[in-house]
Formats: sequence, structure tokens, C-alpha cells
Amino acid sequence: MLQLKHIDVSYGSFKALNNISMTVNSGELVVLLGANGAGKTSLFNMISGLVRPTAGECEFEGRRLDGLKPSAVVAAGVVQCAEGRKLFPQMSVAQNLMLGAYVHRRDKQGNRRHLQEMYELFPILEEKKDQPAGSLSGGQQQMVAIGRAMMGRPRLLMLDEPSLGLAPLVVRQMFATISQINRLGTTVLLAEQNAFAALKIAHRAYVMENGQLVMEGDRETMLGNEEVRKAYIGA
Amino acid sequence: MNLFLQQIMNGLTLGSIYGLVALGLTLVYGILHIPNFAHGALYMVGAFMSYFLMVDVGVHYWFAMAGSAAIVAVLAIICERLVFHPLRHSPPIHDKIAAIGILLFLEAVVQMFWGADFRRMSSPFTGILNFDGLIIPEQRLLIIIGALTLVAGLQIFLRKTMTGATIIAMAQNREGAFLVGIDANRVAMMTFGISGALAAIAATLYAPINLVYPAMGHLVIMKAFVIIILGGMGSIPGAIVGGMIIGFAEAFGGFYISTAYKDIIAFGLLVVILSIRPQGLFAKGAH
Repeated sequence: MLQLKHIDVSYGSFKALNNISMTVNSGELVVLLGANGAGKTSLFNMISGLVRPTAGECEFEGRRLDGLKPSAVVAAGVVQCAEGRKLFPQMSVAQNLMLGAYVHRRDKQGNRRHLQEMYELFPILEEKKDQPAGSLSGGQQQMVAIGRAMMGRPRLLMLDEPSLGLAPLVVRQMFATISQINRLGTTVLLAEQNAFAALKIAHRAYVMENGQLVMEGDRETMLGNEEVRKAYIGA
Repeated sequence: MNLFLQQIMNGLTLGSIYGLVALGLTLVYGILHIPNFAHGALYMVGAFMSYFLMVDVGVHYWFAMAGSAAIVAVLAIICERLVFHPLRHSPPIHDKIAAIGILLFLEAVVQMFWGADFRRMSSPFTGILNFDGLIIPEQRLLIIIGALTLVAGLQIFLRKTMTGATIIAMAQNREGAFLVGIDANRVAMMTFGISGALAAIAATLYAPINLVYPAMGHLVIMKAFVIIILGGMGSIPGAIVGGMIIGFAEAFGGFYISTAYKDIIAFGLLVVILSIRPQGLFAKGAH
């Protein structure tokens, strides 16, 4: 479904991504593990069209994504839920969610149905739908961010550190929801530092270090791997 | 008492015009972070377009206003496409220099066609209403009502429509707007178009009680910058309230102190307000 071939991204003389090749198949939940500064966000922003690769190809459902504008990438079916959420803080929760459906704005009926589905997925958001998004708690804001991304009707949803800064109990709910979204048919690419929780819901995982992919494997191999345990799980 | 009410009326008139001009300026600044010094020139071109349409083409005041708004909106969009869009990755100083360039260019073009003379533009609203001694010229009433309608219309557009929401979204979180698929170019063109139309309408409303000449935008743009600085850069309510503050200060200062010092009052107020609230009245945190 998503295929990256020998991708490089540089910021000036700094090489943020170095020869990245990876694949995400339809229906999968793939986890991207890596420490701060490993290049996870750069990779996501490259796929989303916010930064251009200096070399390599990025293909989605057989179509080239690299070189497209961010809006065209969303329209193609790849939506990112960014680190730090990037909500519209003074707008209401409902407005935030509806703007997620911006590329489908002509299909008003479909959007209303999707909005209802999001309220079913996150009932608390329906209660708070008229409050400014910036007034919500961290966990609720993350729900708005995921809901907004889902309103774009992604076939591939990219989540960048959704557990960042959330309480452990909320993190557990968050992962359960992500797993549910995947089971309902959306392919998910999840960047995380919270390796154990992420691997439990994943099919496969990649490990990223200093802008390079250094390891790849399915859930069991990764959970059993001595280096992964040492570096990311701490056991 | 009547004299006092008269000054309130004058303050409202001036404040409405300043508010409309500042609104366009603050929209462009808040969303695209461009301090558009050429905004005063767009205001001036708006007045000349209305003058041209009324005097040379011979259309009615309302049609001249609509035509001028459309022409200046397109002109503003052309400025965005040809000048500011290619500069989007440059340091902010380039935007400022380019804006001053556009200002000088537009003034020179207008001067080439119409000369530097002062012209009078008439309006069909020449009547004077007399409310028990309080004298209100129709044109001034039209200015106040027109400004109120435009501000209300703009609010409805920005808050209630999907297209308007994209403009607000871009102002509140640029990257978030990209990630939901909002096209930055579309928003930039729309913002410039709206700001140009507002400037042209303000000029057409104000021209009949003032004069039309190529340098007419200078003082207006200076005051519009004062207004958006004291109202908080990029804040819509700040532009409206700031416009009213300056309008009232000028009306009352001009009457009770001296008309000779009326233009300095705006700048005096700026110094006072910024020394008390350096971030402006309505600023919502730094950009």
C-alpha cells in the first residue's frame, strides 16, 4: 500500500533521513520505534508532503506521493495526526472535527455520518463538542486530533507519538482505540517511544536510529529481541 | 450636549472607516504574517476606481462601489501571486520592502493617469438629517451602517462557513491546517482578496466627505498600523475596537483640544497604550 524506496531528507547539511526503504501493507498496523531525534517526525512530514525528499521515491497505492502538496496527499488518502496535536485551539471541538473533513467538504451527508461515528468512538467529545478545543485535557485533545484525522477518511492513518504527555491510564485507552480503528479497516502507521504498549497492538515494527532503519520484524520477533528490549522496553 | 453627541457621531464615522481599513490589514498580517504597507495604496486605488466608474463610466454610486471592490480584490490577489507568494520562503524584511515597492508603484500609476490633483467625488446621499438639533449628514450615517454590515457579514463568513473556517484555521495553526488538507495558496489569495475589497469599500464610503488624490492612503495606512498594533496584531476584534478608539480620540481631541493636533493624537495614544500593555489590547499570546 505504502512503499518508500531509498528516501533521503536533508535540512541544509544535516541529513535527517538516510536511505529509508519500508513497506506498509493494506490492513496492517505498523509501528515505528525510535528515540527522540531518530527521524520519525521527518519521515511522517515527508510522506505528508510538508518536506520534500532529496532522493528516493514514495508511493501510495501505486501513485507517487513525493512532490505532491500536503492537501493533495490528504486527498489521496494519507492523513497524519501530528505530534503535539496541532489543533485549532480557539475553535470548538465540532469545528475541529469538521475541518478534518475539509477535502470531502462537498459530501455533507457523509461528513455528518462520519462525525456521528467519531462521537461513538469518543463519547466524551460529543459532550464537549461546543467547547474550544484548547480548553480540553491532554487526553481529550488527543482524541480530537485522532478524530479530526479520521474525518479525512484516511486509508492510511499516520499517528505521531499519540501517547506523548498522557497519563498511563489514558495511554492504555488510546492504544485500545488505535487498535480498534485498525480492526475497522484503516491501515495504521504508528510512531512511538512507548515500545511495549505499541508492539502489543502491532503486526510489524521498524526500528529507527539516527535517520536510518536498523531493524524490522513482526511483533513476536521484536518483543523477543534482546536489543529492542534493552533499548526501548527496559527489561 | 448636542455638540458632545455630534462628536460621538464624528468619532463613529472615523472609527468605522479606520476599522474597515485595519480589518483588512490585520487579516493579512494574522494569517500570512505580511505587514502589507501597500494596503493604503489599495485604499487609494479603490477611491480612484469608484471615481472613474462614477464620473467617466457614469454608473450609480452602489455599482461603482461594487465594481471598485471587485477590481481592488483582483489587484490584491495579483499582488499576492506576483510579489508575496514568490517571497514566502524569504526573510520577513523582504515582504516589507516589496510592500513598499507596491505602494510606490501603484501611486505612480494612478498619478500617471489622473495626475496629482485633488478631486471631489459626489455621492447620491447628500441630505442632512436633523434630530432635534443633532445634525447627521446621510453619507456619515451610510458609513456607520455600511461598516457595521460589513463587519457582521465578515464574522458570519468566517465563523459559519467552511471556506471562512479555513482562514481562521490557518491563523490558529498553520501546520494543522496543512495536515487537514487546506490549500495554503487558496487561503492566501482569499485573504488578500477580502482585504482589498474592504479597503476599496472603505475608500468609496469615505471619499464623498473627503478628497480623492494619489497620496490619500498615507495617513490612513499609518493610522491603520497604529490601530492593529494597539489592538493586537492579527486580532479582528482588536482592529474594530482599535479603530473606534482612534476615531473617537481624533473626533474629541480635534474638537476639545485643537484640530491642528488631531493627527498626532493617534500616535500619542499608541505610545501611552503600548507603555501600559506592550502586547496590544487583544493579543492572544505571541506568534
